[in-house]
Amino acid sequence: MPSELETAMESLILVFHRYASREGRYGTLNRRELRELMENELSNFLRSQQDPAAVDRIMKDLDTNSDGQVDFEEFVSLVVGLSIACERCYQLRMKNATKK
Amino acid sequence: MLSPVELITPSGGPLQPSTPTLPICGSLPDKQMPSQLEGAMDALIAVFYNYSGHDGDKYKLNKGELKQLLHTELTDFLTSQKDPLLVEKIMSDLDSNKDNEVDFNEFVVLVAALTVACNDFFQEQNKKTTK
Repeated sequence: MPSELETAMESLILVFHRYASREGRYGTLNRRELRELMENELSNFLRSQQDPAAVDRIMKDLDTNSDGQVDFEEFVSLVVGLSIACERCYQLRMKNATKK
Repeated sequence: MLSPVELITPSGGPLQPSTPTLPICGSLPDKQMPSQLEGAMDALIAVFYNYSGHDGDKYKLNKGELKQLLHTELTDFLTSQKDPLLVEKIMSDLDSNKDNEVDFNEFVVLVAALTVACNDFFQEQNKKTTK
């Protein structure tokens, strides 16, 4: 049986490829695929940005080699950033909960 | 430890006040299921906290906690490396601020690197099978 961590890592790969394989180059997300991924998998995050150009902005940030595609390594940097932000909130809530 | 989804009660009602919900699943509107990606990110945090809470600073992994995490959660990776000093080396690499503890930011870098390596392997395998 895979561990919880292995399952989580596998999910990152599966989710990426589910969208990256829809059009064009296999193994990378074009702008439309990134938009679909974010709308389906990160809808709450997108909504919280309150910016209709959020996906374009994120695409520009992630596409570090400016080839118009987001590869897996570039995608993982988004996941890392979001996880760190979430953990920071979680830690704050934990600390506040123990103060009461 | 409850899974992220189990932390949301069946009725969608409030959780035990002493147990903060995981960051993503806990902030979803009532009865909304997390996406696969949200669940995975919550799991990274849940796994970290499963081990970091054992001794000392409960928001960081000391060497013993990191070793336990690696042995339990990444057994295959550890055994495939065949280096008895691997845990020491990993600790030294991850502990970028040299406080002898690995915080979540430092831990997630390891997870990211391993996941990228797995994906590279997966893509190579795919290329071989489609030829």
